[in-house]
Amino acid sequence: MDFNYIIAMLLVALGLYCLLLKRNLIKIIIGLAVLTDGIHLFLISLGYRAGGIAAIVSGEMLSDLSGFAARAVDPIPQALVLTSIVINICIVAFALSLAIYSYRHYGTLDPSKLRRLKE
Amino acid sequence: MVSESVLFGPGFWGPVVATAALLLITAVGWLILIGGRRITKAKPSAGKIQTYACGETLKAEEAHVDSEQFFSTISRVFRPFYRYVRPGHTGVLSTYLFWVVVGLIIILAAIAVVLR
Amino acid sequence: MIPHAPILAIVLPLFAAFLMPVVGILARRRGIKRAREWFAIAAVLVELVIVVSMLPVVWGEQILVYQLGGWQPPWGINLAIDGLNLFVAVIVAGISALVVIYSFVCMERDTGLDQYYTLLFLILAGMMGVALTGDIFNLYVFFEIMCISSYALVAFRRKWQSIEASIKYLIVSSLGTSFILLGIALLYGMVGSLNIAHLAQKLPLEPTSAIIVPLALFVTGFGIKIAMVPLHMWQPDAYQAAPSAVAALFSGATATIGIYAMVRVVYTLFGAFAIGIMLAALGLVTMVLGALMALTQRDLKRLLAYSCISQIGYVLLGIGLGTVLGVQGGLFHLFNNAIYKTMLFMIAGAIIYRVGTSNMDRLGGLWKNMPVTAMLFGVGALAISGVPPFNGFASKWTIYVAGIEAGQPVFTIIALIMSALTLAYFLKALNSIFLGQRPTHLKNVKETPLFMLFPIVLLAALCVIFGVLPQLGIDIVRPAQEALMNSGGYISAVLGGA
Repeated sequence: MDFNYIIAMLLVALGLYCLLLKRNLIKIIIGLAVLTDGIHLFLISLGYRAGGIAAIVSGEMLSDLSGFAARAVDPIPQALVLTSIVINICIVAFALSLAIYSYRHYGTLDPSKLRRLKE
Repeated sequence: MVSESVLFGPGFWGPVVATAALLLITAVGWLILIGGRRITKAKPSAGKIQTYACGETLKAEEAHVDSEQFFSTISRVFRPFYRYVRPGHTGVLSTYLFWVVVGLIIILAAIAVVLR
Repeated sequence: MIPHAPILAIVLPLFAAFLMPVVGILARRRGIKRAREWFAIAAVLVELVIVVSMLPVVWGEQILVYQLGGWQPPWGINLAIDGLNLFVAVIVAGISALVVIYSFVCMERDTGLDQYYTLLFLILAGMMGVALTGDIFNLYVFFEIMCISSYALVAFRRKWQSIEASIKYLIVSSLGTSFILLGIALLYGMVGSLNIAHLAQKLPLEPTSAIIVPLALFVTGFGIKIAMVPLHMWQPDAYQAAPSAVAALFSGATATIGIYAMVRVVYTLFGAFAIGIMLAALGLVTMVLGALMALTQRDLKRLLAYSCISQIGYVLLGIGLGTVLGVQGGLFHLFNNAIYKTMLFMIAGAIIYRVGTSNMDRLGGLWKNMPVTAMLFGVGALAISGVPPFNGFASKWTIYVAGIEAGQPVFTIIALIMSALTLAYFLKALNSIFLGQRPTHLKNVKETPLFMLFPIVLLAALCVIFGVLPQLGIDIVRPAQEALMNSGGYISAVLGGA
């Protein structure tokens, strides 16, 4: 169980490392994706229950709702992660298209060369 | 408690009165300006109205104050700022991200100190 | 009140956004000119009416709680609207309405206007969602909708500067929103709820050390949106490169939303009035840095962007003081800042529309060509520097007095000096653009088009009205301040008997 949290924090740290130290726009965008995936892993681990069942109430479980609640995994983090993944796809897709445009305008993907706007 | 008039500490502030006073003073100043207008006609010669630019000839239309140096005297007062902080705005993405992380750490430390 | 007004205020711009391309296609097929623009103006005005219709109910000391799908909070998602929410929503709807009217002429030379209006309405939907929701994850989702649309709008013209600014803005801001998501995850792990009121009720039971990390993550995440130092660097780039109408919307409405989210989370959700002093100190640094950087700018829009940073510093200072007068002053300044900053960006847009550049070294003597615009710029410059009888004076004065009353005279003195610097850099802008020698190539510049001038004149009139009658402004702000300071009332109103 705790293993999940360690991996999640490792992913976040890796993403931050990528964002801070990499000198390529594509790698920075990958770093951003890794960072958010770390957070997603963290969120999904919050609701995980070893040997739990899916949180879908079907016919025979309606009679024993408290027993169902004790066995089912927490569905809210899954909903959150699903939403967040969709948002993240938007961001990554948009960032990649901007990277293409910046390559057209500047001829490079090095963010330290994208500095005509400053001070 | 602060219901009838905006309570601005000790003293008196009536926005309508102040506006009227401002307009009145503007009118008085305008009258003084008109009253003090010179009666003799100005006769500028070409040499008098020319801008001195170290011997270079400068057309009046091209004379323009450089907007970065406009307040060079004030910026001299804040010299450390313009020497160290301003060049920090390098326009490099990695610097921006670095400062975001530094900001997070500063805020974390500040909150930890304040809430303790 | 219009029935179902809270949800309509969010759904209407969302539907308008996706109807926009359809309207554009139909108009092209039928050969109707500018149908899309008129549709946009109509939609945004209806939105304004919906938001304003909620005012009487909320000002009558009532908190509107709208339960989506009839689920009781804390299980269902709810929209909770108290004075603060509605105050922000009114600012956002009003500024958006004026910006849409302004875009009618300002953007007419661009192509792809279907997408432009779609993105504009998506931003509006996002902002409304953030302003009205009572659920922290919902707030995050709407915040992301707002952010993603604003990245796209910064890059709208696809020139080199727009692309560069947009990519910087995107990566910095996405890092910030992922901090917010991490904060939400930590809160959920701790308390197991996402409802703001429910969280606010449960969090005081947790140990203080546990809330430090999520609080810092939230403050940093929202701090990026409002460009708090040292998280401000993306903002001048983005405001300079964005189309002027978009920059006006950002400076007026999006910054307001950032402040709202920050204040709601810090004061209502965490109940952390103690860290107000940190916010005030950061606000002070923000104010000083913004003013000093603005002093040496060459580009008008970049100068305005730094000035925006500086003014947000005042708001943070006022709100951070945490006293009744301080919060009133801060929120009143937020309101005033939305008015005159939007107006100044619109004037910058008018200059770009007529001259084609906002570089102050290439402008000069324009008052002969555009006297009305010059006068309006003068009004805006005086209002933002806090010169009576304009509105900036009333709010800044309230913040100064609050600073002294809260026992922080040093804060007041620094704020006063920065106010003088504000006047200095705006006089520089006024001198470089409208006074002085007129370069020969500007001889044939015409006055701003009337349709473009209309929103600017309206905002200038507001500047004078709230300057001469500051009591009116304080009356508007007081419900928001009372709502902010009364988090117990918010919690009990949302959770009700549950």
